[in-house]
Amino acid sequence: MITSDNGFFDKFGGKYVAEIIRRPLDDLEAAFNKYIHDPEFLEELHIIQRDYIGRETPLYYAPTATELLGGAQIYIKLEGLANTGAHKINNAIGQCLLAKKMGKTRIIAETGAGQHGLATAAACAKLGLECVVYMGEVDVRRQQPNVATMEMYGAKVVPVTSGSRTLKDAVNEAMRDWATNFKNTHYVLGSALGPAPFPDIVRTFQSIIGEEVKRQAAERNIDIAAVVACVGGGSNSIGVFTPFIEDKNVRLIGAEAGGIGPNKGENAARMTGNASREGILQGYKSRFLIDEDGQSLPTRSISAGLDYMGIGPQLAALGESGRVEFTAILDKEALEAVKFFARNEGILFALESAHAGAAAMKIAKELPKDKALVINMSGRGDKDIFITSPVFRPEKWKEFLKAELVRLENNEDIHDAESMRL
Amino acid sequence: MPPYNQKKVCNAKSRNHNLKPITYNLTPIMNLMSHLIAGFPDAETSIAIADALVKGGANILEIQLAFSDPSADGPAIQTASTIALEKGYSTKQGLAIVKQIHERHPETPIYIMTYGSLAFTPGVENFVKMCKDAGVSACIIPDLPFDGDEGLTEACKKHGLENIPVAAPSMTKERLETMASKGFKYIYAALRAGTTGSETTIDQATLDFIDTVGKGGAKVLGGFGIRNGEQSKVLSKHVYAVVAGSVFVNIVLSNEDSAEGRKKAIAEIEAKAKEISGS
Repeated sequence: MITSDNGFFDKFGGKYVAEIIRRPLDDLEAAFNKYIHDPEFLEELHIIQRDYIGRETPLYYAPTATELLGGAQIYIKLEGLANTGAHKINNAIGQCLLAKKMGKTRIIAETGAGQHGLATAAACAKLGLECVVYMGEVDVRRQQPNVATMEMYGAKVVPVTSGSRTLKDAVNEAMRDWATNFKNTHYVLGSALGPAPFPDIVRTFQSIIGEEVKRQAAERNIDIAAVVACVGGGSNSIGVFTPFIEDKNVRLIGAEAGGIGPNKGENAARMTGNASREGILQGYKSRFLIDEDGQSLPTRSISAGLDYMGIGPQLAALGESGRVEFTAILDKEALEAVKFFARNEGILFALESAHAGAAAMKIAKELPKDKALVINMSGRGDKDIFITSPVFRPEKWKEFLKAELVRLENNEDIHDAESMRL
Repeated sequence: MPPYNQKKVCNAKSRNHNLKPITYNLTPIMNLMSHLIAGFPDAETSIAIADALVKGGANILEIQLAFSDPSADGPAIQTASTIALEKGYSTKQGLAIVKQIHERHPETPIYIMTYGSLAFTPGVENFVKMCKDAGVSACIIPDLPFDGDEGLTEACKKHGLENIPVAAPSMTKERLETMASKGFKYIYAALRAGTTGSETTIDQATLDFIDTVGKGGAKVLGGFGIRNGEQSKVLSKHVYAVVAGSVFVNIVLSNEDSAEGRKKAIAEIEAKAKEISGS
């Protein structure tokens, strides 16, 4: 099951949308199927991937982690080295280029933590497209650094004040915009979910991660036993898994957000635990965190990028068939993994990716020493400083923020500030 | 089903949609389907809103079951749905309100509008049965498309309800014609309207769209965010029933969240329904 059968992956997927949004989806599907076989489009994409994104990204051997974990050789795919700091740019560039070919001049996107919004804003700046990013009002407040960067790229960030004012509401708002403006607008959906053809499109543009891993491993005679990736909606995981789906010798492991526990409202685990069920929401059939009526439930994770109620339909199908194994990683385990890889390898994982790191720390010992365990580090952790600092060094962080506030309120240059005089 | 008898009525100009008189209102000028959300702003007020709509001339009630992610609705209905859900009016509690409204207005057909999640999660047939038990005549579920409806049409048929699909002007001609030829008794047409100055005009493209929707014999329920009587009067000449939705929700939202505010909203809703229905 590499691609969908008319939008379906076994029983999951589909195009469960109101007719107002059907036309843009059908048009997009036709355009994607055309351009993805067009050598000119592929060449242009390849050059941007090489020179702008910075591909290929390294497959790094982690010697200290390997020794400390005492099992398989640990390799880390450094997607965090891609321009804009995460794998999201692979999809954003692909879709924006496609939109340009379709004659669209305006791009809209939803974003939760801001990583996809940021990648889309950058892609639009590079390709000369107008960019509007819908972001839940709650997320706008807690993810100011990414909002600032999106605005730096010239994007307009629109706070969404409806519903729970988070990612899923930003998706709804983007869908509304698209239904009205699809003649000149393309909606860059950020994960491998939503109505068909998005799961196929996003997987296709993200599969470059797994293709590179496969090539790099072959070049260096690395014998891969398992690949582990974090799973929010699932774009980095399906991207790294895809070339290995048919290779039954490679275990594929998805790490979900276990939050603070296994119960409803405590996590964002759709494939493990007891909080999720099958449903149809936001245009696709999959497993969701919904109640017995079908209403979406609150989710919880320290990682904003994994804090979402649904999982991509292909991953849900691969999970039910047993091809992809899922495990839930607690907030505190993810934080431990951030520290572990930073100290021992000099690599700072994003909190999302740290879920994959934590899963690898658990299973490395199960695997033989002559085999490799590949962790997809989907993004780097610079962006998380407002979340990790209050955990790792709360007092010093508080002092810093207070001093910054004083400086801003006094309208002082950093060289004249109190903090410089001590 | 709608309490229309077989005689032809007043509206001679109607475009062959087999318009039938309504026994409930004395002199209907048009068929008006108006919308409310069960449990918004609370149970009691939503029942009073239904009363006001019927008094104001609505002869079909479209009652929405609040859903957490109503992506085919605008922000006003989403906000109202959130309020209803915060007060606990999901499926079971929402349908209990519907049942009360049905008992107060047994002659007024009730069409349930909601989203696929609320039908699919309990099981589509089970959901339809719950609706039937509450006195519902039809289901409008825009994100269960007619060619992938999870068995909704079949379940409706089995239990004596209608499934009403929603057509949009952006649909390709082929897709629209396929929908129109499927034998649906009613099709909801989400229209686009042109406004030139203060005058509402219905352009040729919209008229063609309405024609295509009704081609297979379906009666067309049409709306485009009707705000006033003038708009509904223009539209009523071309459709079986005029749909007015968010205008009533907006009245509630623009009034204070207090006993007095709700009372005022109910009075305004009745007046607005009268204006829109022309009764």
